[in-house]
Amino acid sequence: MGLFKDKYPDVAYEEKERLWEAVKADSRFPAYLYGCYECGICVAACPSARFYDFSPRKIAQAAAREDIELLYEQMNDDVWNCSQCFSCNRCPRQNSPGGLITIIREVSVKNGLRSAKQALEGYGRVIYKIMGTGTQVSPDMLQPDAFPDWGPQVREVSAELDLWRRALPPETLHTTSTGWQVDDKTIIELYLIWHNTGVMDMIAEVDEGLHMILNDVMEEKLEEAGYEV
Amino acid sequence: MASDTTLIIGGGPAGLEAARLIGDLGQKAILVEKRDALGGIPIAEHYAALTHNFRDAEEAMNELIDAAKANPSVSIRTGSEVVECSGAAGDFTVKLAKSGNGVGESIQVGSIIVATGFQHFDPGRETQMYGYYEYDDVITLADAEKMLKENKFVTPSKGTPPQRVCFIQCVGSRDRQIGNEYCSKVCCGISSKQAIEIRQQVPGAKVFIFYIDMRMYGYWENEIYWPAQEKYHVQYVKGIITEIIRKGDHLLIRGEDTTMGRPMEVPMDVVVLAVGMEPSKGTKEVAKILGVKQNKYNFIEVPHDALDPTATSVPGIFVAGAAAGPKDLDDTMAMAGAAAMKAAALIAKRMRGTA
Repeated sequence: MGLFKDKYPDVAYEEKERLWEAVKADSRFPAYLYGCYECGICVAACPSARFYDFSPRKIAQAAAREDIELLYEQMNDDVWNCSQCFSCNRCPRQNSPGGLITIIREVSVKNGLRSAKQALEGYGRVIYKIMGTGTQVSPDMLQPDAFPDWGPQVREVSAELDLWRRALPPETLHTTSTGWQVDDKTIIELYLIWHNTGVMDMIAEVDEGLHMILNDVMEEKLEEAGYEV
Repeated sequence: MASDTTLIIGGGPAGLEAARLIGDLGQKAILVEKRDALGGIPIAEHYAALTHNFRDAEEAMNELIDAAKANPSVSIRTGSEVVECSGAAGDFTVKLAKSGNGVGESIQVGSIIVATGFQHFDPGRETQMYGYYEYDDVITLADAEKMLKENKFVTPSKGTPPQRVCFIQCVGSRDRQIGNEYCSKVCCGISSKQAIEIRQQVPGAKVFIFYIDMRMYGYWENEIYWPAQEKYHVQYVKGIITEIIRKGDHLLIRGEDTTMGRPMEVPMDVVVLAVGMEPSKGTKEVAKILGVKQNKYNFIEVPHDALDPTATSVPGIFVAGAAAGPKDLDDTMAMAGAAAMKAAALIAKRMRGTA
């Protein structure tokens, strides 16, 4: 039992313990956590801590204490406020609170925690783009109404987007629906990596719909290339 | 007439080391110890292991005792105390008595080293702190040390291994209300050492240390504090316990976890009070008899402590160890060496007629 009142008493202790054991079992864990003497250097360096009720120090401290209930609380409420910039790595004890958060998030996603689903909800389109096409932001995402802070030239550029793109020197940029033209060999390799490393399973845990759409897109290409999915 | 002998008062680590060194320098030493046994607090209070190298305390102290005893220039009087002192540097007349008995001898000494040490703060001295005399399972560092020495760390009221143990730091130290404003210097290290020992002896126990500041200077940091956290998973929580109450068959501690910014109320099987150092009864008595000044906490006053850490207000009388204020063993032994050298040098100069 921890030092305070459990915020999630409806979740069984054994389940919280199981999730924490999964975090600890990660091979990176020993290199990310030594001990914490609460100097606060990680919080001082943390951009998220300036804007949210978020403290990388508390993450490291709770992990060092192995306070199962508090860690479950953090897994649900805190870790998604981290921007994963790793400024906290300047820790004099050589902890990596950001690294701990990476592991905690992965466990949270793999286990389909509600908070993981919520936190990742807004990223569905980005994930679809990256995983479907192998590129990130595409020119056709540049819609003037969505980016007023980019200035008046956005409207001008987006009106003749196709023309502008074709004016660019490398032929691979003559596209508006992807960042650049990704050749089939590359996209097949990417699909195989995502299937074989469990990324697709992670997506299935947090967003079934997205998983289904991606799977359809991938299946077709992979089958064409002679792979069984 | 100048005397060729140094009187050392106190047979603990500082006194034993000073006596041996005076003897090694080829001068005469008389060591007076009030208790019947030598070895001071580490022996009298059954210390398990020394901080910071975890060496067996009895074995280490026996080495010091044997070295002093084996030195032909050192004469040891146990069960004896100083009752009177007159004269000045180079020529003191001191009356000794068998403890609790007025009959004694009179000796001539050229210099005196006070090594009368400390006693542990008594948590029931003025107010009942943390129910020490009320709850069997609230103990002090010294009580814990004794259990650890016997390799039997248990919940005292039950006799079974505890599941949850906590230390409360700074009990009787750094406290204006109690009057001991000073830091006792060693308790952070000793609590951490004991926490490691508890985790070794009772691996299933969770061990917490509630503190104000952890003062783990020098190598105590990497030799005690970090291993306690990193290897033995001792839980350090910044925040001092306000009170301990009994709830059912266990104790409930109340405090603030300042790290997380929340109040806490948690059960414990054993609570160890990290009691600090106070001048021993002997230190206070001897100071009066010798006429050396005491500071506001009744330790022996050291007028120029930074550059002359063994001098007292009286020329020819030196101080070593915790009689001059809280000390760890490293500092105590170094101070004993310095005091021995000062005392011997004074006598050597008198003998040569140069002082």
